[in-house]
Amino acid sequence: MKNLRFLPRGSTALVVLLHAAISNAQNEPAPAPAPSSSAPVAEPASTSPPAAYPSPSSSPPAENQADLSEIQAALAADSRSSATQAPAAPSSPAPAASASSAGVQSLNPDLSFIADFAAAAFSTEDHLQSGAHDPRRNGFNLQALELSLGASVDPYLRFDSHITFDLGGVDVEEAYGTTLGLPFRLQARLGQFLNRFGRLNASHPHTWNFSDQPFALGRVFGAEGNKGLGTELSWLTPLPWYVELVGSAMMAEGDETSRSFLNGSERRVRGPQDLLLLAAAKQFFPLSDDWSLAWGLSGAFGPNPSGPGNRSAVYGSDVYLKYRPITSQSPLVLSLTSEWFYRRRQVPEDVVQDVSSYTELFLRFAQRWAAAARYEHGTAPFGTSGARVVDPLDPEWTASRQRVALALTHYPSEFSRFRLQVSRDMPAWRTPIWAGFLTAELAIGAHGAHSF
Amino acid sequence: MFHKLTLILVTLVVLLSSAPAWAKLEVVATTPDLGTIARELGGNDVHVTTMALSTQDPHFVDAKPHLALALSKANLLLLTGAGLEVGWLPTLLTGSRNPDIQAGGPGYLDCSSLVPLLQVPTTAVDRSQGDIHPQGNPHFSYDPRRVEALAVGIGKRLGELDSAHKSGYFARTKSFLEALRAARARWEARLSKARGQKIIAYHDSLPYLADWLGLEVVEHVEPKPGIPPNPSHIAHVLEVARTAKVRVLVQQAYYPSGTSKLIADKSGATFLQIPGYPDFTQAQTYTAYMDDLVAKLAKALGV
Repeated sequence: MKNLRFLPRGSTALVVLLHAAISNAQNEPAPAPAPSSSAPVAEPASTSPPAAYPSPSSSPPAENQADLSEIQAALAADSRSSATQAPAAPSSPAPAASASSAGVQSLNPDLSFIADFAAAAFSTEDHLQSGAHDPRRNGFNLQALELSLGASVDPYLRFDSHITFDLGGVDVEEAYGTTLGLPFRLQARLGQFLNRFGRLNASHPHTWNFSDQPFALGRVFGAEGNKGLGTELSWLTPLPWYVELVGSAMMAEGDETSRSFLNGSERRVRGPQDLLLLAAAKQFFPLSDDWSLAWGLSGAFGPNPSGPGNRSAVYGSDVYLKYRPITSQSPLVLSLTSEWFYRRRQVPEDVVQDVSSYTELFLRFAQRWAAAARYEHGTAPFGTSGARVVDPLDPEWTASRQRVALALTHYPSEFSRFRLQVSRDMPAWRTPIWAGFLTAELAIGAHGAHSF
Repeated sequence: MFHKLTLILVTLVVLLSSAPAWAKLEVVATTPDLGTIARELGGNDVHVTTMALSTQDPHFVDAKPHLALALSKANLLLLTGAGLEVGWLPTLLTGSRNPDIQAGGPGYLDCSSLVPLLQVPTTAVDRSQGDIHPQGNPHFSYDPRRVEALAVGIGKRLGELDSAHKSGYFARTKSFLEALRAARARWEARLSKARGQKIIAYHDSLPYLADWLGLEVVEHVEPKPGIPPNPSHIAHVLEVARTAKVRVLVQQAYYPSGTSKLIADKSGATFLQIPGYPDFTQAQTYTAYMDDLVAKLAKALGV
């Protein structure tokens, strides 16, 4: 939004040429009435010496000055000649950009506000929804009210924050600084942020194809997904295709963010072994103009409170295949997302393991309409011998669980969305649960940039 | 052992990251019009990549990660500005890790700052008016007068960034401007009889073309920018098309054509689909693109 305040260096000189280029428009007789305003083109033109174009800050060699003058002269001559030749009289342009942009200049951060409301119905009161922003009860729900602010701090850093309000209080979802110019294509983030494990974890609910969170995230990391205070370093490798390597260290506690690690307990940090460490590799393959494939591998490692020295690890792989024809006119978008989580936790005398996954198919079939289907699966926890064991975090989860969901979404514009979602949760240890959501999303403020 | 590994890794990074001295100036343009102009001005001294295809609606480009890779190597980023790329460029720009092309950097050129913009709101605006551009209309490259200013600004910046080849940039800028001037006189002569004719556009993306040629855009197929047409608005557009005796309904090829064809059929107007941008992959020049556009317009307008 604030780009316009950066006029190119030496813009006075530029204006000279701009003036020359447009002056014939103003000098010509107008056979038809000119529809736009006739405010003058930027003033400094008349006061600048013509030979000043273009004058870079470094002193230009004499031969370049000669070139400049030549261009200048050529333009002026053309300007005169085309004034007599051109039968059409272009109307004089609107106020010059320098004037027009003045009105939108501001040092305020870009600010946006996104609200998600839901009407929900569950077939039973004790459903198994595990996302913090999922609809949770029959009737009306406020899923989240997210305030986002972001701006450059200085030429070296930018700052972004996402603050979520719900009826119970306020949550600092994210607040982090990002470096803009580290050498060797490195980038660091610091603050409170969503960990870049897999595909969905680092994204915000309003970018999701469904109105609730896959249970895999709730099971492995917690209701809020994996986030915390920490620091991250990522490297865009110089390989010919897109490969980004990410490493981060953050606090390992939080029952809603790091339940497979320190969960609700706190531990004094004595070294890296007491932090949650993440390593991830993200690759992208532009298969063609219309087809894209993203593939990620992630691993998160940290302590768990089941005993001294006991550790947890989560390994993940995510695939995102997208078809969007851009070589011809079409509203069609088809995407397949699949993400898998394998978790192993050392507990006294055993290792508890499980695998959870979700797979989504999304189809935007008209400019304003999309349909999506999702299948989720979570295995029963198993020990080193492969036999079922009891998971101390989810003691009732003694068998496999599946859930299917269908969603139909209507987008009145880019800034609002209505969605009907139906799901059937099938935990093998109890009777299936039906859920129906009707959700609405409203976004105001700065136009957010979408990530892929 | 650990230190040795680190040393090897760092050496590898340094070797792989540093660009060779003989490399061309890397230019990334968000849209194909700017890419085309940059290629004509840069000649063999530059390597130009465009982020949006010429067949693609520039408002809705996927922020594909490999575009960040192109940005990470760029010496110059040319963007249309005025909010056109706001939905996809910022994430990529941050992800590029390239300080030279961040806003305010030497390699960042917001081309909307080079030309006088139309439709700059003078009163308060909000999104009840549709997905409007509060800084003014960004579709300015249909006006060759403004393209002259673009060429001057871009040529100047190329010369600043790559001073060793400055004279080449200036010479090519000069010949580009001369050729454009001559072509413009030809285009204006060809369409001089069309002045005052009424047209309908799909999106509010033709004010600069209309301003240049003295055409009058009487209505849009979209009721508001970014809002798809609904039946009552279509009926309204149809009525306007009939009563104002609209000759042509013009739209870029990246907009849906069903509704527009219906309106054209029922009102007796000619439906004209124009390519949204010069065909960058086929190395079409700006002048060749406009030659084609002007010929199509002249035929459709019956002049």
